[in-house]
Parts: sequence; C-alpha cells; structure tokens
Amino acid sequence: MKVNTGKILRINLSTGKVSRESVPESTAAEFIGARGYGVKYLYDEIAPGTDPLGEKNKVIMLAGPLAGTMAQAVSRWIVCTRSPLTGAFARSVCGADFGAWMRFADLEIIIIEGKVDKPSYIHITPDGCKILSAKEIWGKDTRETQAWLNSQHGKDTRTACIGPAGENLVKYAAIVSDRRTAGRCGTGTVMGSKNLKAVAITATRVLHLADPDAYNTLAKEQVKIMGKDGGFLNHKEWGTTSTQDITNAIGIYPVRNFRYGQKVGWQKLVGAEYRKLRVGKMGCYSCPARCGMIHTVTSGMYKGAHSEGPEYESIWAFTGPIDSDNIEASIRADQLCDDYGLDTITTGSTIGFAYELYEKGLINKSDTGGLELIYGKHEPMVALVEKIAMRDGIGDLLAEGTVRAAEKIGKGSDFYTMQVKGLEMPAYEPRGAKSQGYNYATASVGANHCYGYAAQDIFGAPFPHPTDRFDEGNADIVIFNQDDTAANECGVVCAFAARWGWSQLYGKLLAAARGIDLYKDDAYLAQVGDRMFNLERAFNLREGFGRKDDYLPKRIRTEPLHTREAEGEGQMVSHSDEFLDKYYSLRGWTKQGVPTDKKLKELGLDAVIKDIKGK
Amino acid sequence: MTVEINIPPVFQAMVKGVHRIDVNGGTVGECLNEMAAKYPQLKAKLFNKRGKLPHGISIYINGENAFPKPLSKPVRPGDKIYISHIVLGG
Repeated sequence: MKVNTGKILRINLSTGKVSRESVPESTAAEFIGARGYGVKYLYDEIAPGTDPLGEKNKVIMLAGPLAGTMAQAVSRWIVCTRSPLTGAFARSVCGADFGAWMRFADLEIIIIEGKVDKPSYIHITPDGCKILSAKEIWGKDTRETQAWLNSQHGKDTRTACIGPAGENLVKYAAIVSDRRTAGRCGTGTVMGSKNLKAVAITATRVLHLADPDAYNTLAKEQVKIMGKDGGFLNHKEWGTTSTQDITNAIGIYPVRNFRYGQKVGWQKLVGAEYRKLRVGKMGCYSCPARCGMIHTVTSGMYKGAHSEGPEYESIWAFTGPIDSDNIEASIRADQLCDDYGLDTITTGSTIGFAYELYEKGLINKSDTGGLELIYGKHEPMVALVEKIAMRDGIGDLLAEGTVRAAEKIGKGSDFYTMQVKGLEMPAYEPRGAKSQGYNYATASVGANHCYGYAAQDIFGAPFPHPTDRFDEGNADIVIFNQDDTAANECGVVCAFAARWGWSQLYGKLLAAARGIDLYKDDAYLAQVGDRMFNLERAFNLREGFGRKDDYLPKRIRTEPLHTREAEGEGQMVSHSDEFLDKYYSLRGWTKQGVPTDKKLKELGLDAVIKDIKGK
Repeated sequence: MTVEINIPPVFQAMVKGVHRIDVNGGTVGECLNEMAAKYPQLKAKLFNKRGKLPHGISIYINGENAFPKPLSKPVRPGDKIYISHIVLGG
C-alpha cells in the first residue's frame, strides 16, 4: 500500500511562482493533516515578529485526508495564519464544499505567500494554477463574488473569498465559502492585505486514498452508525438554533457585555421561534445533517432579510450583547456579516462593548454619528455592522476589535473588553461553565468555544468523567477537550459529528486514507493532539505571549455573575492562578506556561527547545 | 443500595437545583420513570410521545454510552446513570 501524505500547492503572489510539493512522510506521521499540517508549516515558515498584514505572513488553507470521500461530516477545511487581530496563532474552520474540492484537485495544503500589486484571485484546476485579475469583483459582496466566479469558471467550481470587510482590512474579516465562514481571528483580513479576493477551484470528483477498499468498508459502517444516532437526528432537525434554550435556562447566555447570564424574556428567542422563519436547509459536502438553517424575514422593518443562519453563536452575537430579543434583526445582522465577510462573534461582541461604553458615558452621540446605543435597541446594532465593514465613522474604530479600540478611547474602557489574547469571547458565560471558560483562557487562538468545547459542563456529558460546572479544578478536562479537538481537526471532523457514535472508526479511516497504521491507536491520536497544542503554544511564546495572556477578562475575575432568574447567581471565576498552575503542571509546562525541554522531547519537538529558551 | 441518576444542568434548573437522585429501577427506563414520577415537569423532556428518549438526550451508565436501546438496558444497585444532552454547541 502506497502512503499518501498529501500535496501542497505553493503560490507566491509577489513573484507569480507556483509549485507543487508533497508532504514528507515524517510530517504526515507526526501531524496527520489539516490543522496538524497548518501549525507545522506555519511554525516552520513564519519568522517570529512577522507583521500579520505584511508580505511575509502566509495564508495556509488545509483540507483533511478524509475530505471529499463517502465518509460523512469530514469535509470541513481550515485556515491557519498569524492573526492580525491577536498577533497569535490563528486557526479558523469552515464548512461547505471547498475542502472536498481541494481534495478533488489533489491538494491538502494551499500556501499563499507574498502580495500581489492589484486585486487578484487564484484559479486552481487539477493541472494548473493562475493568478487572475479581480477587477470585476473587488468591492463586491461575497454572494456577488461567488456568483461571478461561478459564471467565469462553471458549475464545477467552488470558492473561498473575502467581502468588503476583508478588503477594508477590518481586523476580524472572515473568509466565506458558499454561506459558510472561516470566521475567527481575521483570516480574511490577511487575504485582503495580499490584495487577494478569492481562491477558486474547478475540479470534478476524484479520490486519493491509500487503501480504497478498506476505506469504503469503514465509511459504510460510519454512515450506518451515524444515521441512527440521536445526536445526528437532533442536529438534523435543529442545527444549533436551539442551543440558546439551554444556555438561557442554566444562566450562561451572556447578556449586556457579559454582565448577566440570562436574557430576561429569553423565551422569545428559543429555537421554536426561529423555526417559524425557517425556509430551508443547507449543509457541508457529504453530510446528511444539513444543519445550516435558512431563515427569511417576511414582515417588519427587516422584511426580505435572508440568511443561512444565524446559528447559535450568531443568534447570541446579535441579541445577547445588546440585550435584544428581536429575531428579525439578528437574521439581518447575520446576513450582513456573511455578505461583507465579518466574524459574527467578534462583530457582535464589539458592538456590545460599544453599547456599554455608551451607557457608561465613555462615548457619546457625537462619537457614534448620532446613533443611540441603548440596550434593547437593535437598529443601531444593524447600522454598526455596516459601519464596521466599511470603516465608516465609529465603525473605523470598532473595526480594530475591542482591545485596540479601548487603547484609543482610554478612560478605563479596557475593563469592558471581553476577550482573551485579543479574541472576543463567544456565547458561553465562563463563570457558569468553568471548564469552558478556562478553555477560552488557554486556547492557542484566544477565546474560542470550539477549541475545547466543555460539553461536560454545559450538557452533562460524563466523558472522560463528569464535572460540576462551577468547579474550577478540572484542568484535566480542559486538556482532554483541547487535545481531542486538535486530533479531530486533523480529519477534519465536524465538531458535532465527532460525538455521533462513530469515533472508534476515526483513526482507522485516517489510516486507510493515508496508509499510515499509527493512526489506528487512539492514544497515538491523543499524543498528536498534544503535539499540535504544544507547537501552537511555542508559536505564541515566540511572539511574546505567556502566562500573562492566559487570564479571563477582569470582569469575569472580579464581578459576580448575575443571572437574574436561573441557578448560578453569584458564581464568580476568581482563582485563575490556581487553575493555571494545575493546568500548566498537567501539560508539562513551567509555572510561566512554557513547555519544558522534557515535554518537548517526549513529543518529538526537540527543534523547538532553542526557540523558546528563556521565555 | 439504589441507582443514582445524575441530572444535566438544564434539567437541574427545572427541579430547583437538584443534581442527582436515587431510584430503584432494574432498567434505565424504570429508573427514569421513577424520576419522572417524582418530577413530573421532566417527563416530557425524558420521553417522547412514543415513550422513547427524545433525539437530543443520551444516557450513560457508569460512564459508558447506553446506545442503542438505552431504556431497556439493565442497571444494578450502585450503578450511576448520567443523562446528557447530545452536544449541540454552536
């Protein structure tokens, strides 16, 4: 059986040079694929101190070894770069078809280097790659852009593009593919800085598997198991549009810039209410869940708003931070973010920050261009989304994210930045789900809910052991979740589908796809996850991050959480140091959060030791 | 000795913060029925119209997933049942 390690397409936009390479077998063994490859190549190829928006930063697009095959829910794809929002390691995950199309073009990695003088896009086929003018689509939104590219290159084309927000270098611009986004960390901003509007792939289905027979047998088993799983069936019915029913009920739905843990009158926001506006569904390649719920507003001031989504995070982003229960406004804001190419989480959280500054008198109507940022009022929120994307008025300031905005505003406004490492927090209140909160604190990219999702705290999942969601001592759970996620993102397995009863087949599928039997051992997969997480940590240490950057926001550490109705009143995260000491110790890191030489050697990361000496 | 049922956070909010209860059933279904008798507000959350678990709920016995046919799985005194929402996330 021939080992299939995956192919790299390297495109230098400055020189126009294009080359194809194979991933070395040792890299495939140690990092498996996708996010694993992403951190490996980014660490090796980006010099410390590289300007995230400079010519020397790179955008790395990654599909996993299972993408485009008959196995289900494994065709998501990943972008890695140095984040212009945080300065830290960036990884952002996207759905739709683009990952499968990368594999049809026999690619697992696209490395984009340099910067092109004029707006351009990349067109890839199995045999070639061209850098073409984007004159016709520069300034267009993501829907118009994709429609134009399809008109140019035909129905067998899939694209990943940026909208005006990326062109305007909004620090948290997204990359959009169909109506799915690689939303977090400003990956679209880096594309914009390179004058790169889109990457389009024209290809038809071809499989590149080391052992097709074994793979297909396993895939059939996976499909059979998944189809009966209750989680799959529930996800098929609701997607994530009812998660707010639970998070509100248990008091972890952040409201008013993380002041409260529950929306008063949250019953107006439940999944059943969104369902009334549902007009269809969409999904990723080879996934029958089709969990993207499409909504259309049929009346009122937002009549005609139409969006694939909002899903849970975006439902929250456009209701919780501004204390609104207007479903229609959330659909409109979600649509705008997708069209302009914005991360909904940072957009909503940044707007919530602005509302609180307005309430506290730190900004006023003259700063906002006349907008009254009063809690419950959704019209200014929708207006701010557009202003941010176009850097219009106060939008120019908010386009920088909360940390930079607070630096400019001063007057103690930094207290109201709800972020870790500069990445704004998502839709789970850390004080009411502490393993989730400490995942925010320690995740390589900053406050990201999907970097080690604490289903134990939030849903009562008892694996690897049950938790009390107010217990601050579950460092082992946080590590388990983070490493398990990392290993799954080598696949790339959808974070939801990973729990749909077939996880015992994952390593075998990887092994049959690659021809590397090491992957069959779950303990080996866990070690790969650990290796990836440590290399990401080393990347961040090289950039000056350390223990000081592993704390939750001051509000979370000093103010009790008021839920107003649900259980959890008065819960407070206040022992970050105790948690970090335990977490670092279990990770094999020093008290400053630096991996020890011993730990790095265990993971085969000996070459990293010299890079982080003295950190 | 009884069987312990661990209640997930969202159901705790419906039963005034109770985290776990002890019951005496011989199967998961009998145990959940006993819990539903004590807390009728949970009945619709634990059983659909056909008397089966709703799609969004999964059951673990001593940490092991009880799928498939979780309600008919036998339990013994001292066992721990965990009710979990199947990860929704988002």
